Amino acid sequence: MLDFKFYYQPQTLGEALELLATLPGKVRPLAGGTDIVPALRRGELELDGLVDISCLKELKGIEKVGERVRIGSLVTFSELSSSSLIRQYASVLSEAASSVGSPQIRNLGTVGGNIVNASPAADSVPALVALEAEAKICSQQGERFLKVEEILCGAGKTCLTPGELIESIFFSLPPPNTKSGFLKLGRRNALAIARLSVAAVITLDPSKNKIAQAKVALGAVAPNPFRSEEIERLLVGAEVSSSLIEEAAALASQVVEKRLGSRPTAPYKKQAVKGVIRELLQKLLKPVEVKAS
Amino acid sequence: MNTSLNTFRLEMKVNGQLVSLDIPPTLRLIDVLRDELRLTGTKEGCGEGECGACSVLLDGKLVNSCLILAPQAHGKEVITIEGLAAQGELHILQKSFAEAGAIQCGFCTPGMILAAKALLDSNPCPTREEIALAISGNLCRCTGYVKIIEAIELAARRLREEKVQEAC
Repeated sequence: MLDFKFYYQPQTLGEALELLATLPGKVRPLAGGTDIVPALRRGELELDGLVDISCLKELKGIEKVGERVRIGSLVTFSELSSSSLIRQYASVLSEAASSVGSPQIRNLGTVGGNIVNASPAADSVPALVALEAEAKICSQQGERFLKVEEILCGAGKTCLTPGELIESIFFSLPPPNTKSGFLKLGRRNALAIARLSVAAVITLDPSKNKIAQAKVALGAVAPNPFRSEEIERLLVGAEVSSSLIEEAAALASQVVEKRLGSRPTAPYKKQAVKGVIRELLQKLLKPVEVKAS
Repeated sequence: MNTSLNTFRLEMKVNGQLVSLDIPPTLRLIDVLRDELRLTGTKEGCGEGECGACSVLLDGKLVNSCLILAPQAHGKEVITIEGLAAQGELHILQKSFAEAGAIQCGFCTPGMILAAKALLDSNPCPTREEIALAISGNLCRCTGYVKIIEAIELAARRLREEKVQEAC
């Protein structure tokens, strides 16, 4: 039996926000449960109560809204990886979602939970950061929008206030000739926590064989996933070639080394990132003829 | 709002039967299945979502019953290993596991069979790779997986043959 004093299962977002605003003590929203339930069992997380938001219909569904795609915060990793909309417009996110945990965990874990849990190794977060995704955050006071990157402020920390909930996540439809992808390095395929992950969204200018836009996010090499301006600057405007991919790999190695400093994993990760970046860029730039350097 | 301070009125369908019971909301789904309903076929291995021994089907989806609170199953349908054998006769998956030698100590078997059922319900003709992916959240420390994969292939074949016969 777990240790908390009260549990509520509201049926509407309004009720949930009211409970979160008025309940005393340390209260957390409960979505998929895959992180909170074992943490409570181990005694690592101490809570007075839970507001179970898993029934809220307002927080479900994936849909196209104008020029953007809206993902309800309760959308599971299984739903993300099998959604035709997500596959069409953001393979980076469907690939990231299908690399989470196991089939069981993908059926329970939610994208909103992955953000607020704020793990450095969260799989969907580098993808959302590379997509420049924005979260709609609700509380009894109203709503506000924040980029996913801005919500995170350290390992396990967010800038959300106790009465706030992520209602949904939005990303803009990509321009034509955009490809995106996600690669993760884990100790094994299933149930592996990312040692390193890379998410990239690349828009090509096919007439000139150049990269028009590039968004590259790295995961599990800093307290939170982040976009690397250095790598993006190298790629934007550059002609697609195998030497460009090698330059990007070398630069990624420097970026990782700088971020990890003297951490024990630095010597491994600064080498490993080269292979991950190389494989991902080769896949994304494939249809364009890569000139031999 | 199904509000509760000390007890929660949990209503769900378990293996086709409606159950209604008052429980402390601090119980996980596996606690209710094993300790309240005495369905001890569902095993608790790691309690962390790593081993899959506690897998059940929740509204047809494979989940770890150690990772969700029991009230989260309210209004839903749960299938445990006990729900597979119809009128005392073992399910084709259960027979195939026994025949293919896919069972040794048996601790992973209930979860493994439900993972296989979730796969075959949505994909009656899986490849070996699809089978391996479907059971990637279930650990077996005895058989080495080859016989488990063969058992699922055998069950898939038999289930397809059964469907063809029914259609005739």
